[in-house]
Amino acid sequence: MISQKKASYLFIAVLFALGILMPSVIKKYHLNMLTEIIVFALYAVSYNLLLGYAGLLSFGHAMFFGTGAFTVAVALIHIPGLSMWNAILIALLTTTVVGFIAGGFLLRHKGSYFALLTLAFNSLFYAVATKWHRITGGDDGLSITRPDLNFGFTTVKMSVLTNFYYVTLVVIGAAIVFCWYFTKTAMGQTVLLMRENEERMKFLGYNTNVSRLILFTFTGALAGLAGAFYTLHFQFVSQSAISVDMTTTVLLMTFVGGTGTFWGPILGAFVYIIVQNYLSDITDRWPLFMGLIFILMVLLIPGGLSQIIHSIRDLFSRKRDRGKPVAAEEPSS
Amino acid sequence: MSDVSVFFLHGLAYAGLLFLVSAGLTLVFGMMNVLNFAHAAMYMLGAYFSFTLLHVTGQFWLCLLVCPVLLFIIGALVERFLLRRVHVYGHLHELLLTFGLAYILTELVKWIWGNYPLAVNIGGFLGTTVQLFGITYPVYRIFIFVCAILVGTAMALILFRTRLGIILRAAVNDSEMVNALGFNVPLVFTGVFAFGAALSGLAGVIAGPLLTTYPGMAHEILIDAFVVIVVGGFGSLGGAVVASLLIGELQSFGVLLFPKLSLALVYMLMAAVLIVKPSGLFGEKQ
Repeated sequence: MISQKKASYLFIAVLFALGILMPSVIKKYHLNMLTEIIVFALYAVSYNLLLGYAGLLSFGHAMFFGTGAFTVAVALIHIPGLSMWNAILIALLTTTVVGFIAGGFLLRHKGSYFALLTLAFNSLFYAVATKWHRITGGDDGLSITRPDLNFGFTTVKMSVLTNFYYVTLVVIGAAIVFCWYFTKTAMGQTVLLMRENEERMKFLGYNTNVSRLILFTFTGALAGLAGAFYTLHFQFVSQSAISVDMTTTVLLMTFVGGTGTFWGPILGAFVYIIVQNYLSDITDRWPLFMGLIFILMVLLIPGGLSQIIHSIRDLFSRKRDRGKPVAAEEPSS
Repeated sequence: MSDVSVFFLHGLAYAGLLFLVSAGLTLVFGMMNVLNFAHAAMYMLGAYFSFTLLHVTGQFWLCLLVCPVLLFIIGALVERFLLRRVHVYGHLHELLLTFGLAYILTELVKWIWGNYPLAVNIGGFLGTTVQLFGITYPVYRIFIFVCAILVGTAMALILFRTRLGIILRAAVNDSEMVNALGFNVPLVFTGVFAFGAALSGLAGVIAGPLLTTYPGMAHEILIDAFVVIVVGGFGSLGGAVVASLLIGELQSFGVLLFPKLSLALVYMLMAAVLIVKPSGLFGEKQ
């Protein structure tokens, strides 16, 4: 029997190994889709840190995703010779600042009030992106070309999809692992405990407001990073990246995958994009079916796909354990 | 000078519409503690029902009567068979459900009526203009404001002057106790939710001829209604009146005075209220 922690390390290693092998296995069309899935996986993970871990239901996560997406495009267009790393770095810094300021306003409230305010803020961002034509391109959007990566001794062409895929896999993968690590730290645990019993945390001397603001800024920056890669992937960004629909997308992904677990939203992003691709091939009304799936899940399986997987696993482990003497609990590390 | 009074009247008309939408929203929130994200989608449904009914019968008065009733039924069904079911999972799930519902209703409307604006012509007396303080003004905009006053007064009378109002207000404070006293609180909640839906339906019918009927209309009014609730204070009917007037006039004069900033003015007001008085102008401290 391996410990939970070792199992997680193994799981991460297997995912990375699969990711590295993929380009030689699947077609270009599917590699395109996989890149998109990885980008959205980070977006969903960051959203889940808010919804699943802190219990904050935000309808405005797209404002960070969109800010990241637009910042990369604007930076690449207006600063000649800017490297991809620096463009991503600028996007990260911008969304961190935006997340910090927006968090200052939004986190004064909780529950429904918070949800309402985030939606209103998202609409403000959308309005700005639509009206500020000179910078954001308004309805036309912005087109960019991915700059090549220069490592000094060699240049990697980013116009080749496989190369960009590897960059995405490494950077986004590292960000997701960092999130996973974050949930295990004292800070991550504080957030969880705050959701369960904020009064007690305050009593124990934690400044819950500061913790919440840090988490909010952190998730905003992560969503911004995902947004930056979204623009780099499609080499195009329009105001749809910052619209409420983009928030709905991440909400659906996270909820379908399961808000109760760390890995659920990644599964959610995977399933969502595949189902969306499949449904949009057969019907133009795919958002309707996505919505129906969402409502059914809210009504019947509030734990998402993770809940189904867990109950199947429980079913098997109970069978396997039958007849065995009850073992003492393994001390967790 | 006449310019200013025209814009003032425009502001009043939009304030009336805003009040009709946000009154239902704030009522449901105040009573049931459910923020109904599908409220604006129901408003849109009201507008589309009215469009079809007007197309078939040509009677606008009939739309004003029938569409709210239809929405009342839809609201009652939603509360009884969907909302009550997720109530046990807690607040988050109620929000998610209404959000999902709004999403589905918007997609359905796009499917049935198409993803383009529809024009509504009412004709008759409401479609004419009238001489008012020396300016020619459309009757319909005055009609909207009158409707809002009538609905607001009726709501205030029911809430504060009748036995039903006492039960409603008591159920807000302590629903368990009211239940124990022998009143059917779940039925009261279904009624309140359905009434909120009917109000949004009425607002939708009224909005049809004023604004265009198109699938984006729900989101547009939802944000303004949310701002009304934030500014006026959660669950406060009086706050909704004042905030609707404020935002209606702000929208109207914003276009006149700062055309480039008009879109941001509403958000700036909201941000200002959030900084100065986070619970809203008339809201109780949370």
